[in-house]
Amino acid sequence: MATLSTDVLVIGGGATGASVVWDAALRGLHVVLADRADLVEGTSGRFHGLLHSGGRYVVKDPRAAEECIVENRILREVAADCIEDTGGLFVTTPFDDPAYADRFAQGCRDTGVDCEEVAPAEALRDEPLLNPRISRAFRVPDANIDPWKMVWAMARGAHERSGARILPYHAAVDVHRRGEEVTGARLRDVRTGEELDVEARVTVNATGAWAGKVADMAGIEGVHVIPGRGIMLAMNHRLVDTVVNRCQMPTDGDIIVPIRTVCVIGTTDVHTDDPDDQTVAQEEVDALLDDGERLVPGFRRARALRVWTGVRPLFEDAKEDVRSTRDVTRAHTLLDHAERDGVGGFVTITGGKLTTCRLMAEETVDAVCRHLGESRPCTTTTERLPGSETGEYYHLGERLGRREDNLRNDELMCECELITRGKFEEALRRRGTDNLGDFRRTLRLGMGPCQGGFCIYRATGIMHGIDGMTAEQANEVLLSFLQERWKGVRPILYGDQLRQARLDDWIFQGVLDVGHLKQ
Amino acid sequence: MRPSLHYDVVVLGAGVAGLTAAAKVAEGGARVCVLAKGVGSTHLAPGTLDVLGYTPERVEVPADALPAFVAGRPDHPYALLGVDAISPALDWFAGRIERGPHPGYRYVGNLKRNLLLPTAVGAARPSALVPETMAGGDLRAERPVCVVGLRPLRDFHASLCAANIARLGVEARAVELRLDMDRSEVNALGLARGFDDPVFRRDFVSRLAPQLDGDERVGMPAVLGLRDPHGAWADLEDRLGRPVFEIPTLPPSVPGIRVFDALHAALRAAGGRLVMGSRVAEGEREGTRVTALRSETAGRETYFGARAVVLATGGFASGALALGSDWVVRETVLDLPVRGVPAPGSPRFGAHYFGEQPMARVGVAVDATLRAEGAENVFVAGAALPGAEPWREGSGEGISLTSGHRAAELVLASDGLAAAA
Repeated sequence: MATLSTDVLVIGGGATGASVVWDAALRGLHVVLADRADLVEGTSGRFHGLLHSGGRYVVKDPRAAEECIVENRILREVAADCIEDTGGLFVTTPFDDPAYADRFAQGCRDTGVDCEEVAPAEALRDEPLLNPRISRAFRVPDANIDPWKMVWAMARGAHERSGARILPYHAAVDVHRRGEEVTGARLRDVRTGEELDVEARVTVNATGAWAGKVADMAGIEGVHVIPGRGIMLAMNHRLVDTVVNRCQMPTDGDIIVPIRTVCVIGTTDVHTDDPDDQTVAQEEVDALLDDGERLVPGFRRARALRVWTGVRPLFEDAKEDVRSTRDVTRAHTLLDHAERDGVGGFVTITGGKLTTCRLMAEETVDAVCRHLGESRPCTTTTERLPGSETGEYYHLGERLGRREDNLRNDELMCECELITRGKFEEALRRRGTDNLGDFRRTLRLGMGPCQGGFCIYRATGIMHGIDGMTAEQANEVLLSFLQERWKGVRPILYGDQLRQARLDDWIFQGVLDVGHLKQ
Repeated sequence: MRPSLHYDVVVLGAGVAGLTAAAKVAEGGARVCVLAKGVGSTHLAPGTLDVLGYTPERVEVPADALPAFVAGRPDHPYALLGVDAISPALDWFAGRIERGPHPGYRYVGNLKRNLLLPTAVGAARPSALVPETMAGGDLRAERPVCVVGLRPLRDFHASLCAANIARLGVEARAVELRLDMDRSEVNALGLARGFDDPVFRRDFVSRLAPQLDGDERVGMPAVLGLRDPHGAWADLEDRLGRPVFEIPTLPPSVPGIRVFDALHAALRAAGGRLVMGSRVAEGEREGTRVTALRSETAGRETYFGARAVVLATGGFASGALALGSDWVVRETVLDLPVRGVPAPGSPRFGAHYFGEQPMARVGVAVDATLRAEGAENVFVAGAALPGAEPWREGSGEGISLTSGHRAAELVLASDGLAAAA
């Protein structure tokens, strides 16, 4: 069996794990990052894309709010290329308690969240589709953040800085214990079945909602993470250009985040026992559509592109009886198992939210350094991510702008997301993957209104043509993408998106007859 | 509503069903107008007439499989139309293609055997009646295949197509030719215009010929001409000295456009009329009859009086049927009753993409003579009919053609028209 030796092994390739890898690499540590699937395939890639100003938490969880605004400012500085500075609004709709607005404004002052009240008419001028009956409106520095771009920038940066090894599709199958010391883990490449032993001075469990399972492997008891399952719904247009929140205690379906070419409404909150539970209940979809109507009248007439489930990792204090996961703190939890369990070389970081991933990583790597007995200062508050060196925010016209430069000499393979063949081939070489889902995340291939209707045949054909893939592999890639996509669209097939789906059927089942490819 | 234009029959929809019904009614001597929101299924579909491809086992001989197929599915359009109605419809269609605007272009095949034509991904699709330009691709023949890709056409990938053909036991390989064309012309339509031009073809052949081996037949994306496809195809076969066949690509479909052009020509030759860009907003009723239609064309309203109406507007894909976010299905043009909607609580769509999709079987409720429930002079044809899953069955074009053809017969024999004649 192959073996690998490193300073730090990070299990979990979401925003938290990647931030730990980036932070540790900047401190000069050698790191291995492993995830059982693609990076950002779990919770970090399944949220609405909000970079919190903290506004959501100013009344309910002031500590979380304070963390958010501080981290919001830092990420704007170091990860600008992943952020679109949409700004945010909190609006009091006729469905909200009007008294909350004053508590909100006070909460912002108390927690340092920048907040400016504006006249409803001004908010409506900026966002004309908003419910015209709003009575109060506040501007906050919410934004959207692209988790895939950020995590891959961190992974790439960590590799460039200190040779970090990034291992997607490597599941931890065992955590090695030598006496009262965790010494690494055994990984299995889920694509090939090959196993790899990683010997690490410190192992970081950054698996979010799955942290209890990895802690179990290390023989550590009592790490209870309650998965809070929520669904998110992407609409095919930016019905709003600003993040819009209802000005009320945080609840289901009270936020719409414009991100890239779509906007996302979220979310619901259901306690589940299994973090891999991806159920989308019809009632939840119906409820989100109703919530959308309250913020943007006519919401139900817009096209719903896709629905998905994310699980929040909410750490449970075993002493408390928890009924609603929304009542568990949104703040993160760092478990230093040397202190907690007398087991060295092992740290668990869970809970929290994407906005605070950098802070979580800082605290985690501080703990790692304590384990190593070394003092290495954190520099992630000032060190810019690869791609964000200029400090310029991403803006919506960026792809179109780049496209203008090569309009006549590169094929466009995805019209919805403006992906050229050249860009795709470059990603194909860089990722060395044959999973179309990976390109969906990396390039947004198939994320637009047609949900891959046109580009997926093209992508499969290109991969087969240049990658030396067998027909069996190519067919599998195509069929599994179609089935995965079907999961995300089936609960929301109505209106024009059903028409779109039927057109896609026409292509895949009619013109191409892929359902009858020889098995 | 005061109709400003009077017709014996107004046909709604310009897909295969609508154009077939309209042309045949016109040929029967009635005054016909087709109102269409835009081009429809023809421009999306491969241009073959697939009558029955899967039951779900692959069908070799449609004539043999059809009786058992409809016996088990009393609600299927073929059960309603009668299996015997299919063959005359195919004959009618083949005749219109031969008399059509493309000299020499014809369809081949019948219900006695399905051809197995390669798709752009290299699957073998069973079709009953196909353009002569595709027939050479029949994968029941063993002759080796060379699939020719045309860079930078995005919608056809020769290597994958050839690799999957090879898995079916037919020797196959791919070559790719880079075309020196303006990028704006590198799509199916631009290439089709290219292949209409003898000089373009000569250049193409001079580059392709040296790359071909042995007795290979040549498979190409279906772009061999819009004006003179027979001439273009025959010329390529002649110059290459070997069989050449077309493989359908992603929409827009060049062979499908030829179907549209041929049926449109048949309609015009019989004195019928087609008004594109005219969305029908409303039907006026007198009792159980629809007597006039209000359409919105180029920003103004026009009223079309009609003795009979053929509704050939399609299903969910065209917008003729709509499922609301309240999960209610509506027929959007005349607000006719629908049939086959899954009961509340039962799945609208199956869990597997290639599995059964109950919602796909929803259509306008009709009686045995294709009359819409509650609208005695409205005849329904094509994908608007309930009871079929066209993609899974490989039956869409066959249903459209047969029901359009049958609707025309029923319209011509109906009281309103018989009295007028």
